[in-house]
Amino acid sequence: MAAPVRRVLFRPLRRILTQIPGSGVASSGCRHLSVGLRVPAGQKPNDAVLESPSLWRLLGAVFVQRLAVISRDRSSIEKDFAELLKQTELERSLLADHELRLLEDAERVSRKQEEDYDSDEDSGQDIVTAQDLEDTWDQKLRQFKPAQRLTGSIQKQLLNSEADKKADRTCLERCLEDSLVLLVKEKIGSEDVWLLPQVQWENGETLRETAERALTTLTGNSIKATFLGNAPCGVYKYKFPKDVRTESCVGAKVFFFKALLGSGDLTPNKKGGHVWVSKTELQDYLKPQYLEQVGRFMVDL
Amino acid sequence: MNPLLTKTLLARNEKVLQQTVSVLRLAVSNPHPVLGCVLQSSERQYRSMPTHGIGRYKYLLPKEVPKKKKEKLQVKAIKTGTDTEYGVLNVQVSGHDMTIVEHYSQYVHNLCNRLKIKVDESYALPTKCTEVMLLQEQGTKMFADAVLSTHERIVQLSSLSSKLAPVFLEVLLRNQPEGVQLSIKEHTEADFYARFKARPELEELIAQIN
Repeated sequence: MAAPVRRVLFRPLRRILTQIPGSGVASSGCRHLSVGLRVPAGQKPNDAVLESPSLWRLLGAVFVQRLAVISRDRSSIEKDFAELLKQTELERSLLADHELRLLEDAERVSRKQEEDYDSDEDSGQDIVTAQDLEDTWDQKLRQFKPAQRLTGSIQKQLLNSEADKKADRTCLERCLEDSLVLLVKEKIGSEDVWLLPQVQWENGETLRETAERALTTLTGNSIKATFLGNAPCGVYKYKFPKDVRTESCVGAKVFFFKALLGSGDLTPNKKGGHVWVSKTELQDYLKPQYLEQVGRFMVDL
Repeated sequence: MNPLLTKTLLARNEKVLQQTVSVLRLAVSNPHPVLGCVLQSSERQYRSMPTHGIGRYKYLLPKEVPKKKKEKLQVKAIKTGTDTEYGVLNVQVSGHDMTIVEHYSQYVHNLCNRLKIKVDESYALPTKCTEVMLLQEQGTKMFADAVLSTHERIVQLSSLSSKLAPVFLEVLLRNQPEGVQLSIKEHTEADFYARFKARPELEELIAQIN
């Protein structure tokens, strides 16, 4: 019984998701989810969605991502092809000034070895030869140390046993090639559940403000994130178990908003616990139906 | 003349005419495959020049529109955004490595084509060279250590819808390579005029007038 109801609700959302790559035609279907938009004053934001008051509890959640810091390693085919292209480019190119100088110097040295060498005829030789310059540059390059791809915490992970792997997931500097998402442990009902930071919607504010409030309250004021767009990017609806249901409240709807991490990190003394996970690790934490809805808007390019 | 003679002469003339007409009609209705077009286009085929006009082909080519000379750049009014769409936006890609910067700007352009976002223009700003001068190890003279050149490419978009903007921005940021700075701004008149070179003589004359 829940399945057909869910399908009806999500039809406008699916229309948005399918219309984005297709055309730029403005659709009227997306107005159903205009709850998050900045509406002109004097209009209640929730009029479009609800007919009767508060049958569902509304929650705003934030999907904060730290984007990848470095690019991924090349696959073997890409590596081979890149090598091939580099080689062809090198073989096709003309000699640079520096290389010409090197050749001239070598030629001059070979001429000096000959018997009929006349030092007066020899054209001016520089004090600093091209080979000397190359040697100094080589030295400088050896002194330069690039930053490591695997940061300290990962190296620690590799050294420790399997059981410690989960403990280091709170670190923000892991997995520099992937994007990480913030998950928070909350107590819902009687059990502890891992989910995206969420907070209940209050009357008079837009859902995006709810999401911003969720970010600041559940993480402390240390995280700076930029929100993408005023409209939510996903929705998760669930009904409470029968014993919790009241007349006015059947279940809850969670609206997700996307944000990109600018700077800052969580204070480590968070009572529930928080975790920064990549897409593959998400399934260890989230419930399957919740994960399904989150996976619909999570971009992994 | 004898009227009978004239009548017979006329009759014979008519017969000859009819014969020639029929021959001509036959010739026109069953054209020889080689000579057919020659017969249609030129009215007479000279007995002395049977291959006259055999190499003509320019009349068969499609009509060429005369090439327009480059017009002077006209200052267009810059569109402002509405509630659902942004106006003219400049996506500026800058960095030190020219190949990466160019490849990324091409990626942005192709992405816009895919997502059917209208691209007004795609141009490059002049390269800025910065010389890095280091103090020499033995001595007080400065010597040029390196030359860093900053390349900039701009892709100008118009009418980006506000539904598509967050998705577009996220894709751009996810695929941004290292060493490349991305910035998206609204297009202003100052940006437009920044592309032109300064004309010192014109400015001198204007200053003289004032």
